[in-house]
Amino acid sequence: MQLAKKLGSKKPNREKVNVKLALTVAATALLGAPCFVNAAETSALNAWSFDTAVLYYAEVDRVTATEAMLGASKTFDDGSVLSLKFTLDVLTGTSPNGAVAQPTTQTFTRPSGNGEYQTPANKTPIYDGFRDRRVQFNGQWTQPLAANYTVSGGVHISKEYDYLSLGVNGSLAYEFNNKNSTFSIGSSYFKDTYNPVGGIPKPLTVMITGSGDEDVDDPTRLGKDDTKSSADIMFGVTQVINRRLIMAFNYSYAKVGGYLNDPYKRLSRVNANGEAVDYVYESRPDSREKQSVFTQAKYNLGGALLKNTMLNNTVLDISYRYMWDDWQINSHTIDSRFYIPIGINSYLEPHFRVYQQSAAKFYQPFLNEPDSLPTYASADLRIGEMTAYTLGLKYGTFVNGGDELSFRLEYYTQRLTNAGFNEPGILSRQALYESVNAIIAQVTYSF
Amino acid sequence: MKIKLKRLLLVPLIVSVTGCANLGVEPWERDLLAKKEMALTSSPIDATFDDHIYFSKEASSGGKGFGGGGCGCN
Amino acid sequence: MHYLVRTPLFLVLLFSLFISSDMQAETTITSRQALEQTLAQHKGKVVYLDFWASWCGPCRKSFPWMNKIQAEYKSQGFSVISINLDANRALAEKFLVETPAVFPVIYDPKGKLAKHFKIKGMPSSMLIGRDGEIKFRHAGFFINRIPQYQQEIELLLAEIK
Repeated sequence: MQLAKKLGSKKPNREKVNVKLALTVAATALLGAPCFVNAAETSALNAWSFDTAVLYYAEVDRVTATEAMLGASKTFDDGSVLSLKFTLDVLTGTSPNGAVAQPTTQTFTRPSGNGEYQTPANKTPIYDGFRDRRVQFNGQWTQPLAANYTVSGGVHISKEYDYLSLGVNGSLAYEFNNKNSTFSIGSSYFKDTYNPVGGIPKPLTVMITGSGDEDVDDPTRLGKDDTKSSADIMFGVTQVINRRLIMAFNYSYAKVGGYLNDPYKRLSRVNANGEAVDYVYESRPDSREKQSVFTQAKYNLGGALLKNTMLNNTVLDISYRYMWDDWQINSHTIDSRFYIPIGINSYLEPHFRVYQQSAAKFYQPFLNEPDSLPTYASADLRIGEMTAYTLGLKYGTFVNGGDELSFRLEYYTQRLTNAGFNEPGILSRQALYESVNAIIAQVTYSF
Repeated sequence: MKIKLKRLLLVPLIVSVTGCANLGVEPWERDLLAKKEMALTSSPIDATFDDHIYFSKEASSGGKGFGGGGCGCN
Repeated sequence: MHYLVRTPLFLVLLFSLFISSDMQAETTITSRQALEQTLAQHKGKVVYLDFWASWCGPCRKSFPWMNKIQAEYKSQGFSVISINLDANRALAEKFLVETPAVFPVIYDPKGKLAKHFKIKGMPSSMLIGRDGEIKFRHAGFFINRIPQYQQEIELLLAEIK
């Protein structure tokens, strides 16, 4: 009966330990290690720490995504750290298909090639509703080498209905000048396989409407799947400036090759009056070279703003990234956070981010009919000209002697702008650059 | 553009070669740096989610990452 | 370094008044004086001198072990002496409530002793032989190196003064 009593116990502390114990057992079992963990063995419990989080992302009239994450990490006696992370997400909703809005109803073939769907007049054409699930696993091992050297290596696997991504990464960090300076070098390689619904569309071919016979070879399709590989290398310097200030500088170079199109994106071909004549599949180069420089500063204002210097450490985090590539996209990102402790157990963290990018050289909102087809063209707004803002607030509180519970609510808005394209005839009265507005909500519990 | 880049890259190089020796703190003065909120990536989970969102919605990604600073222990 | 470790006896006598006194008096003496007194008290013993701070994770991990060796080797002429380097003493005291210590703690909020001994990392430790000389130094604390640390202590304890 004692057992029943125990099981009936609703002491939060015990439940917490049990959850942690169960996860520890699971994590240990996963590693294939012999698993003799009992509640008394607190050292084993302390060695593992867990993060759980749920993110909800919802765009007005477009995509909704729910993402759940479970992370586990263990620090070993020699200072090595193993971290494992599982992510599951569900994506539903609709997304623009690349075609321009028209004053008349438009008809599109479904991505599968079977059946059609219609876009009402004066509406931005979107895919038919979709639903996708994604599972992801990440594992990372970090190990101190000789004094002042740390190496790290990891793997990444993610799978969704039409996409598989496999990746590896490695990095080396060297600390010097009394550990006030760190030099890091890291590299990663990803191999992705795209297996889109209906196969790989042949770039710039005209979408066929009214077909429906699966057995006939579709001349607009190249095959079932295609691959993409990305390799990047990054160098970083971190420098402690003084007791309150730390700065980081990174340079990174990435090369992406293979199938870089979005198989579901099309472009409208319009006549002199802006009326859609037909739709072609987009065509992007099969390589992209990206570079970026990144700098970040974290400054602890300590008692400068608040009286109690012992407990209140307000921290300003500000970073800037400049990215450029051979598609002629340039972007600026400013990201800032301000950590404000409230009392001894909670904090508030406002977040503000600004992002601005120029359009890719082959970006165009539509094609003009009499002109011959360009080699590359895409109407994907994500490689068009835009300015995006994120405004958010996070509230965190420490509970149960060290566990952290936090809530984050953010608003993301993407203002798409015309990168200098004329809008002939009827198109001047259509919204070609509809902004994207989204809410991001997140709950995180770490223990 | 290339010249601009080279100049940009020189900044951290100069900082790391010349400035460093005079910059920084003693090992026992890292109390503020040791705080979680002073880590370069203080909320890795938020960072992962953000990267995923912005990677899906914008044409830029990556460039961040790497550690440094912190407790300086062990 | 020797002058600090090998304390003249008169210093012991001079400051023995303060040792048993309250906190008020303790803060009136410098960290160096406090260390000299404590070392003098443990003259002829093997001393594990540990530098720590409340914000240092591995330091917290080292406390149970330091309590253990203090209890285990005390009778053989051994003591742990620790030097706290928190700039704010209240944080150190909070740490000691959560993680009690069975060995002496000396407060060095300005890091004068740390500077004197050229501390390279947190925590740092020095093992002083019965003759008052520093025999081993360690930067950092690693649980998997505990056997090595204890071997060194036993080696020094076995040495005849």
